[in-house]
Parts: sequence; C-alpha cells; structure tokens
Amino acid sequence: MPFALSPWPAGWSRQQRSSATMIASSLAMLLVLWLLAIPLSWAPEPIGNNAQYFAEGARVTVELTLVAGLAGVVLGVLAALGKLSALPPLRWVAGAYIWVIRGTPLLVQVLFVFFALPVLIPVLQMGDFTSACVALAFNVGAYNAEAIRAGLLAVPKGQLEAARALGLSRWYTFIDITFPQAFKISLPPLVNNIVALLKDSSLAYAIGVVELTNVGNRIQAATFQPVPILATTATIYLLLTTVMTRFSDAVEHRFDIEGKIK
Amino acid sequence: MSAAAGQAFISVEKVNKHFGPHHVLRDVSTTFDAGKVTVILGASGSGKSTLLRMLNRLETYDSGRIVVDGIEVTDDAKQLEKLRAEVGMVFQQFNLFPHLTVLENVALAPRRVRGLSREAAAQRAMELIERVGLKEHAHKHPFQLSGGQQQRVAIARALAMQPKVMLFDEPTSALDPEMVKEVLDVMKQLAGSGMTMLVVTHEMGFAREVGDRILFLDKGCIAADAPPEQFFGAQASERIRSFLGQILH
Repeated sequence: MPFALSPWPAGWSRQQRSSATMIASSLAMLLVLWLLAIPLSWAPEPIGNNAQYFAEGARVTVELTLVAGLAGVVLGVLAALGKLSALPPLRWVAGAYIWVIRGTPLLVQVLFVFFALPVLIPVLQMGDFTSACVALAFNVGAYNAEAIRAGLLAVPKGQLEAARALGLSRWYTFIDITFPQAFKISLPPLVNNIVALLKDSSLAYAIGVVELTNVGNRIQAATFQPVPILATTATIYLLLTTVMTRFSDAVEHRFDIEGKIK
Repeated sequence: MSAAAGQAFISVEKVNKHFGPHHVLRDVSTTFDAGKVTVILGASGSGKSTLLRMLNRLETYDSGRIVVDGIEVTDDAKQLEKLRAEVGMVFQQFNLFPHLTVLENVALAPRRVRGLSREAAAQRAMELIERVGLKEHAHKHPFQLSGGQQQRVAIARALAMQPKVMLFDEPTSALDPEMVKEVLDVMKQLAGSGMTMLVVTHEMGFAREVGDRILFLDKGCIAADAPPEQFFGAQASERIRSFLGQILH
C-alpha cells in the first residue's frame, strides 16, 4: 500500500487506525488545497507564475466533487429505495431516472442543466457552478443508485426476519440493520463512482466553470506549452484522487470488523 | 402471564396455507397454554416451521384465525408491533446482526422498541448475556463466537424484549454436535423458569425431558398431540413409529 500511514503505534485498534487515517487524509486534502500554490511556484515558467491559478482551479474541482458527491449519495440512496419500493409509481420514477441519466452523455447533461433547463423552467436559472453541481450530482446519483441497490439486496433475508421478529419498526430496521450492512457492501463501487466524479467534474469546463482542467487549458492557450501544463494538471488530479482513496480505504477498514481486508 | 387460567394463551383456528400448488397446512386448529413447553415434531416439509413462523407473522396464512394473548395476528401495523414485542424468536441460522457487538445485538430492540435509555438497555442486556454464560464475550462481534455461543446470544437477544412466549425454529440444527448441549441447557433453564415455549426440533432427548406436550405434524395436519411419555411410549401410529425409527437411529 503506497502512502499508508504505517507503521502504527503499537496497540492501536483497527478503529483507531482507520479514524487516524481518515483524519490524516482529510487534513492532507486541506493542506493540498491551501498550500498547493507554494510548491508549484517553485517550478519554472509557465507553471511557477501561474501557481495561484492552478491552486484556485484545484479548489473548485474539489468543491464540485464534494458538493455533487454528497448530494449524489443522497440521490443514490433515494433512487435505490425507489427502485426496490413496493409501490409501482416509485419504481417507475426511479427506473426512469436511472435509465435516462445512464443512457445520455454527462456533457449533454451539464449543457442541458445550464442552457436548456432555464428555457423550459425560468425559475431554474442557475449560475455555472450550481448548474455543474446539479448535473454532476444527478449523474453520479444514478450510478450510486445501482451500487446501493446491489448492497441492499445483498443483506440476507434472515437479518430482516430477525429485526421484524424483535418488533423493530421499518425505519429502525433500515437505519440500524439494513443500511449499515448494505453500505459496507456498496462502499467500493461508491468510491469508484466518486473518483470518477472527481475527474468528470472537468466537464464543467464546457459551461465556463473555472476548474482545474479549464485553468490548464486557458494557460496552455496563452503560452502554447502543452507538455508542462497538461502534465501539471494531470499530476494535481492524481494527487487529489490519491488523497481521496486513502480516505475511502480508511472508511472501508472501519466497516471491516471481520478483518478481511489486509 | 396475562391469559386467564384455563384460557388458551395462543389459539390457532382452521388455518390453511399454500406455497403455490403445495398445501403446507390443512385446517390446523390447536391451542397453546401459558407456561407450557410444546415440542413440534415432524418430517421436513410437514409444515412445522411454517406454523411457528405464522405466530409472529413472518409467514402469512391463507385462511383461518390466530390469536396470541388476545392479539389477532394480522398485517395491521399497530397490532403487529404489539404482537412481536410479546413473541420472541430464535432461528436455526442465529441471524445475529454481524456489524454489532454481542451487547449491541441484545440491547438494540429494547432501546428502539421499548424506548429504554442506552444505559438501561445495556444493563438489561448485560444481565441476560451473563445468564447465558457469555459475560466475557459481550464486546465481541458474532463472527468471533462459536455457533453455540452465537445461538445463546440469539436467545438472550430475544429475551431482552421480555417476551411472553418464545419460539424456537430448529435452534440446534445448524450446530456442531458438541455445541448442541450448551444451547439446550440454556433452553432447559428457560423452561424451568416458567417461560411459554414452542420448539421445533429434532432433539428427541430434549422433547422427552423438557416438553410438556408433543405435537406431531404430518403433511400439513396435526397427526398426534400427546404428552411425551405417551408419544414416545407404545406408539399406535405406524407413521409416527417409522418417523421415530428414522430419527432415533
């Protein structure tokens, strides 16, 4: 495991270690965002003189990912529950949502939310950043829905029977029994989706959001030096996804009470 | 026990159940008294588990009527909540919650259903965990325990709701032979405390020793209903003799 924060202090439990990794990787993400401009400014032109610009773009990329990612998990849970609902209308709505979103390109969705939605419904006139967040959230939500649905279906029937036999209400059965077990199963595919989201957020570029890819492209257009600029852009993405997967690995470890993950 | 003396605690009237074309229970009528241990025997597919699972509505029935301690068993949410709070169940596969510790498994329902505080629920849970002899395992997760230990936790978990009746659905069938005794011992102790118990099992020793009454199901009907000494004694029925012959050898 590259970047693992081991060796651990002796006697730390699995939970303490995963908590420590979660805190450390969160701090690392903040540090990257705050201090990115400093190491970049040491680089020669055209990177050094544009360090602040790159850092700003990276910050916008992370903001897009966090906002759309959190909303996308909520949407994913709702759509998964809809698809498993006993009520046919809910199943149809959830099914149609997943069908449309997975069947159309994200770029078209981003453009649609920004340009077409205000024409259809004038109240939904949103800024470029908000539009991008909405489109990305709905997009990742559809993929999350399938990951969460798979997790919900994988919880053994006996678990629900035990919960019902104890008299637990449907709500407590869901939040105490079904969801924690389903979430653990869904976590790896969810992380996949969020990592993909971080990179897909570059499509916000099409509606003028000044995120990392947009920044790189603008500097490239002004300096005609594609190699160092695109290499820097890619490196920053790699740094961000690495920190993010460290965090999600720690979450996975926390749920892994049987110690299956080595 | 709130059921008045002489009045049946559980009554089952003319209950029918189909699984597709298969007629699992045919016009089954019987009653169960408070404080008694009834052992339900029968071949696989005779409908004994189905009958048990109907009593707390894990299984529906097609026609007939079941009443437990004055609560009619239906899909009405309020009634069902009351019913399930009174009826404890232990499963063949334990069905412990794998993401929770032993203590959390036992304390969860009293907290969520009975509204006990976290501390009160944990205290009650701890007492029950001690009673089934697993005090030092209270903070472990189910996967760290043997099958017999897990089943004892499952019994403690059901008891934590302070049920008036306990249903056991083949509680020792998934256990290695050397672990059967520890679970049966806990069940014997429970029977000795006056708990109303309905037990589906293949443990004839337990049935003979602890049972107050044997119910034998065959092809969805009650084929015999007798005290154990009579049931295991000079058995008139050919069908039951052959069943016992297969089980005991």
